[in-house]
Amino acid sequence: MSQRPYTVVLIVPTGIGATFGGYAGDALPIARAMAQVCDRLITHPNVLNGAQLYWPLDNVFYVEGYGLDQFAAGRWGLRPVHQNRIGLVLDQEIEPELRLQQLQAADACRATLGLSLTDYIVTDAPLQVQLQTAASGATWGTIQNPDSLLRAVTQLIQYAKAEAIAVVARFPDDPESEALQAYRQGQGVDPLAGAEAVISHLVVRTFQIPCAHAPALQPLPLDPHLNPRAAAEEIGYTFLPSVLVGLSRAPQLVRGSNQQGELWSRDVDAVVVPATACGSSALFHLSQSQARIIAVSENQTQMQVSPAAIGIQAVQVLSYLEALGILVAHQAGIDPTPLSQSLQPLKPLL
Amino acid sequence: MTTHFITAEIDRQESPVKTHQAIEAELQKQGEPLRWAVTRVEEQRLHVEAVVTTSAPVARA
Repeated sequence: MSQRPYTVVLIVPTGIGATFGGYAGDALPIARAMAQVCDRLITHPNVLNGAQLYWPLDNVFYVEGYGLDQFAAGRWGLRPVHQNRIGLVLDQEIEPELRLQQLQAADACRATLGLSLTDYIVTDAPLQVQLQTAASGATWGTIQNPDSLLRAVTQLIQYAKAEAIAVVARFPDDPESEALQAYRQGQGVDPLAGAEAVISHLVVRTFQIPCAHAPALQPLPLDPHLNPRAAAEEIGYTFLPSVLVGLSRAPQLVRGSNQQGELWSRDVDAVVVPATACGSSALFHLSQSQARIIAVSENQTQMQVSPAAIGIQAVQVLSYLEALGILVAHQAGIDPTPLSQSLQPLKPLL
Repeated sequence: MTTHFITAEIDRQESPVKTHQAIEAELQKQGEPLRWAVTRVEEQRLHVEAVVTTSAPVARA
């Protein structure tokens, strides 16, 4: 048995139309499989959130994207917890009926799952989420009243002693949009994803606290042709349960600490990423560590950034199944070469 | 505080670390970087999309 826990980072950026992970938690099976072949898996809410659906995994660290960037840079560490007390922020713009649905979803998670939530707070102004699609095809977004969000979080931390933050923002309803129709067919790019990431990034950057977001939307009409990859977001009234479950055991983000049990970027053994989406801050940093980068070709995205394009060395694999094989071999200390191709004799170096 | 979507182009540097620093420095000309990604690379030119924040007087609602 190795003396060093085998630690993997799984990255599937949100809002880039990833074939695997660009829909309703459809990278979760990949995370589940990967968690079986490593000691610790670090990944982000986009991978683990399936709206109503989730799968608690004891060896998985739920780390928001901004937190993951700071972790990869070596600035923040991850401190495991038994349970976080979650503070819920609701956008003032959410209509009374939708707000009640969010609160009932939260109460259900308390009663049925035993999650710990503080009393909730409503923002003092509408957050006013604005969505956009960039030239790359990725979706982004901004909010008009970020200070209102930050004031709400301040109060939850100060007065309710919240240790993690769940944000529910009112997102624009556009059921007839081409982007949404494509998404429901398992194609195109999640139109909400980029804005969701901006919301949680703001909270994590400001407060160094676990955070995740769930949008508040009116229900969509039934679609008999709904793609299975998009289905998880259309089986309930809210997207909140998976967010609350993830936050309930998300690691605390620490700085300048070195307590036993904490994870730092030096502990990472491998990073798995879509082969065309290698342009993230986290990957830039992790590529400079001893971690093996594994780029998966089948997970196509709107991005056009290969490892070579930015000077990163990576193992190229076709599928996540192949990536799992590489991880198993790596953890076992086995060179994967003889497992997949004929082995040539050693040659002199010079 | 306000949030802004921006784009930028940066020349690839001699190492990923220096490239990362160059990206952050370029984005900081327009605000505090919140989230960014290199979206495509043409020759040695990196195209970056980002959201940055800028400080504005905080007004209570």
